[in-house]
Amino acid sequence: MVCPNIWTGSLRKQWPGKRLRCAFAIGGLALALTALGQPSPLPPDKAFRFAARALNPQTIEARFAIADGYYLYRDRIRFSVEPADAGLSVPPLPAGKIKEDQFFGRVETYRDSLVVNLGLKNAAVGQKVVIQAESQGCWDQGICYPPQVQRVTVALPAASAAPTRPNEPPKKSWFD
Amino acid sequence: MTKSLGRWLLVGMVGAAVAAGLYFGSQVETPMRDASTLLALTLPDPSGHPQALSQWRGKVLVVNFWATWCAPCREEMPEFVKAQGELGSKGLQFVGIAVDEPDKAERFASEIGLNYPVLVGGYGAIELSKTLGNRVVALPFTIIVDRQGRVAHTQLGPLKPAQLTAIVTKLL
Repeated sequence: MVCPNIWTGSLRKQWPGKRLRCAFAIGGLALALTALGQPSPLPPDKAFRFAARALNPQTIEARFAIADGYYLYRDRIRFSVEPADAGLSVPPLPAGKIKEDQFFGRVETYRDSLVVNLGLKNAAVGQKVVIQAESQGCWDQGICYPPQVQRVTVALPAASAAPTRPNEPPKKSWFD
Repeated sequence: MTKSLGRWLLVGMVGAAVAAGLYFGSQVETPMRDASTLLALTLPDPSGHPQALSQWRGKVLVVNFWATWCAPCREEMPEFVKAQGELGSKGLQFVGIAVDEPDKAERFASEIGLNYPVLVGGYGAIELSKTLGNRVVALPFTIIVDRQGRVAHTQLGPLKPAQLTAIVTKLL
């Protein structure tokens, strides 16, 4: 392999022959390596993994883990809860990364992760609720997924772990 | 010297060809033997009139699943308009299947001066495309069918103009 020698300058007499052919070979190899690192598109539930857990009986941490090279649109994220009478409150979503899109203008996107603490106004302690997240996103390589709905069942902490709320009437459980 | 240069060029070209194969291969789904499932479809146009895809049998058919919410779809469609204008008389026929609402699809078609038919499949259409090889159920997804009704190419992701020309030129 003569390529390493060209950088020493010792083969200057043979310029540009060796450099040219080495450049072609290295270029081709680089392209091949780039392509090897080119992944296939992930299924949407792998590109945008949704998880939810109870931090306390009134707070659910909702989290999207977004695969590298993928992004979610901020304005297409929706959360809901079942049963609806658990009273979900969704805070304003954090600011996203600005993307100048030639069709949609200035849009906000999330990469890597998104964490939102959702409030439950009327859930009963020990209750199980289903957190539903709707989202829509794309892959940088030029594909977009239709809106996805992902659901996670969360068991709220037991009564003993809950803060006391003496002035409120007992809540009806979803499973009663 | 010339022979040696040629050998190195060959190494570079093989590398580039492997790269191209891997890159495009990652986005090309496994082709079906024939396109009968696709050609058996009937979907409404934006006015609600049912249109059978079989009416375009015998042409080189490019069926493109798209949506207004899909930026890469919108980006590649003007190239399809151009190709339809240039090669339509030779038997090339594009058909867009919108994974969208009829009014949104119609508005965008009008904006870009779409010169080929659009059928409206709604979100159900993308599930349909799964049965036609759209493994991860995303857009844009394009199927090219030859005059004999065989699938010549399927592609998830944008179809580059040079790639499109190379494929359809062989089929026309």
